[in-house]
Amino acid sequence: MRCARCAVLGGVMVLAACASSAPGNPPLEKYTPEAGYRFERLERGENSDELFVIVTFSGGGTRAAALAYGVLEALRDATIEWQGRRGALLDEVDVISSISGGSFPAAYYALRGSAIFDEFPERFLYRPVQSDLVKLVFYPSNWLKLAAPAYGRSDLAAEFYQREVFDGATYADVIARNRRPFVILNATDMTTGAQFPFIQDQFDLMCADLAGVPLGRAAAASSAFPGGLTPLTFRNYAGVCQYRQPAWVRLAAEDHASRVNPRRTARAENRLSLAAEGPARPYIHLTDGGVADNIGLRGPLEAIVSTNHPWSVLQLMNRQRVSKLVVIVVNAAAEPETSRDRSAGVPGLIDTLTTAATVPLDNYSFDTVELLSKTMNEFNSEARLVEGCNRLSAGKGEQCALNLPAPYKVDLYPIQVAFEYIASREERTWFKNLPTTFTLPRDSVDRLRAIGRQLLREDPQFQNLLKALNGCLPAAGSAC
Amino acid sequence: MEYVKVKFPTRRLVYIDEEENGYTNEVLRVEAGTHMFALGNRANFHPASRKVAVQDTTVLEPLEIPFYRKDGE
Repeated sequence: MRCARCAVLGGVMVLAACASSAPGNPPLEKYTPEAGYRFERLERGENSDELFVIVTFSGGGTRAAALAYGVLEALRDATIEWQGRRGALLDEVDVISSISGGSFPAAYYALRGSAIFDEFPERFLYRPVQSDLVKLVFYPSNWLKLAAPAYGRSDLAAEFYQREVFDGATYADVIARNRRPFVILNATDMTTGAQFPFIQDQFDLMCADLAGVPLGRAAAASSAFPGGLTPLTFRNYAGVCQYRQPAWVRLAAEDHASRVNPRRTARAENRLSLAAEGPARPYIHLTDGGVADNIGLRGPLEAIVSTNHPWSVLQLMNRQRVSKLVVIVVNAAAEPETSRDRSAGVPGLIDTLTTAATVPLDNYSFDTVELLSKTMNEFNSEARLVEGCNRLSAGKGEQCALNLPAPYKVDLYPIQVAFEYIASREERTWFKNLPTTFTLPRDSVDRLRAIGRQLLREDPQFQNLLKALNGCLPAAGSAC
Repeated sequence: MEYVKVKFPTRRLVYIDEEENGYTNEVLRVEAGTHMFALGNRANFHPASRKVAVQDTTVLEPLEIPFYRKDGE
């Protein structure tokens, strides 16, 4: 009798394991560069390339989601004059790149557009998502699912987001909207440590169809905070869809020995590794996007400095299609106070491991923002150098005039929304001590929304942008 | 950042690594590394493409990559 019960229980668990083990990304029958979620495929509508706006949303749980949402509200309310009409700056946003908590408003905006402003606060920001997720683990029905080797806590979270936040939508629904901005949710490939963007160009490598991927699963992969949440597994079907790598990949891989550009070569080799037939890696395990880049800026930076990128901004610049480039970095990085240094006691294991896990990420984020400034300065200094040489030579007489040709000039606006720019020390400390969790009190969420708008308004480059576009962003509750 | 100028007697589309990237006789920006250059529109130029390692350029001295008209065209 006991054996029979064991057998039944075992059978139920095997069935549950089988039922729960299929990763949620269908194969791609045939590689089709003219289809799928790609930047160049999206209708521009009245959104011009000439004013090219990139927004990045960092990780940081609900803290990051609320700050990002506050910036979206501000961009909706910021009006500009551009190409003979007055409109919202939000309608000129071309790309949103997001990480972890920031991926929830990003994905919601990709799916629902301006309806986000009616729906998202109650559906996500004010909701006790964290406790809802914890409760799921205690449902006996979920124990069977969790017993399956290919099913983890993030799969439960993905199902919850899919049901409760995204109403069952997949990328097919985002593709059907067919309009900018191009929204890129980012996770991290655990094996290579590379950023894994949820765009068809990336899924092509695995011969997988992004259209069939639930938005909740993409958001869950982007926000699979190591430890608390498990990585998510995706199938790699490489080799079944007649995929062809872009021409640059072979060229960049050939540069391996000469080391002329190791970063470009590494990007090429990463693509080759993922697309290796067999496939060499039949399963891809994705963890939180913050592990590779917690502010979502690395992809946009590559797009700005490389012609070999799935949505290269440099190509658009070379084609003289962009005249103003705006990059808005929304960074919800915290800096919790600690009493560690008030005691001679040796810090404990958890404290030490947490420090080891988070400090490198914070330092890398700092360097990434620095890289944005450096890149922008490089563009500005090249133009100044050519203009200066031409001016100096012309001053020596007409016969000495060089008339050096310059690359196409682009006006650049690197804008940062981050707690460190809050003027009041007390207020800054309060925001920097907000925890990384998927539940915050309603008044904390409201303060985050408000500070997002305020920090955007106060950014010097944002003010320059508004001045150049005869624009206005009113303070909360005011009019222009 | 690296700088190149693809030279041709007339204004033509420039393809870098098979992607449209501006026009001939203008200074174009590219990432360092080996790239394949070609021209668009008609095929009355030679060579058909040029594979070039681009590095150590400056905005004042972009790497010049010449293409020529085919004889008789």
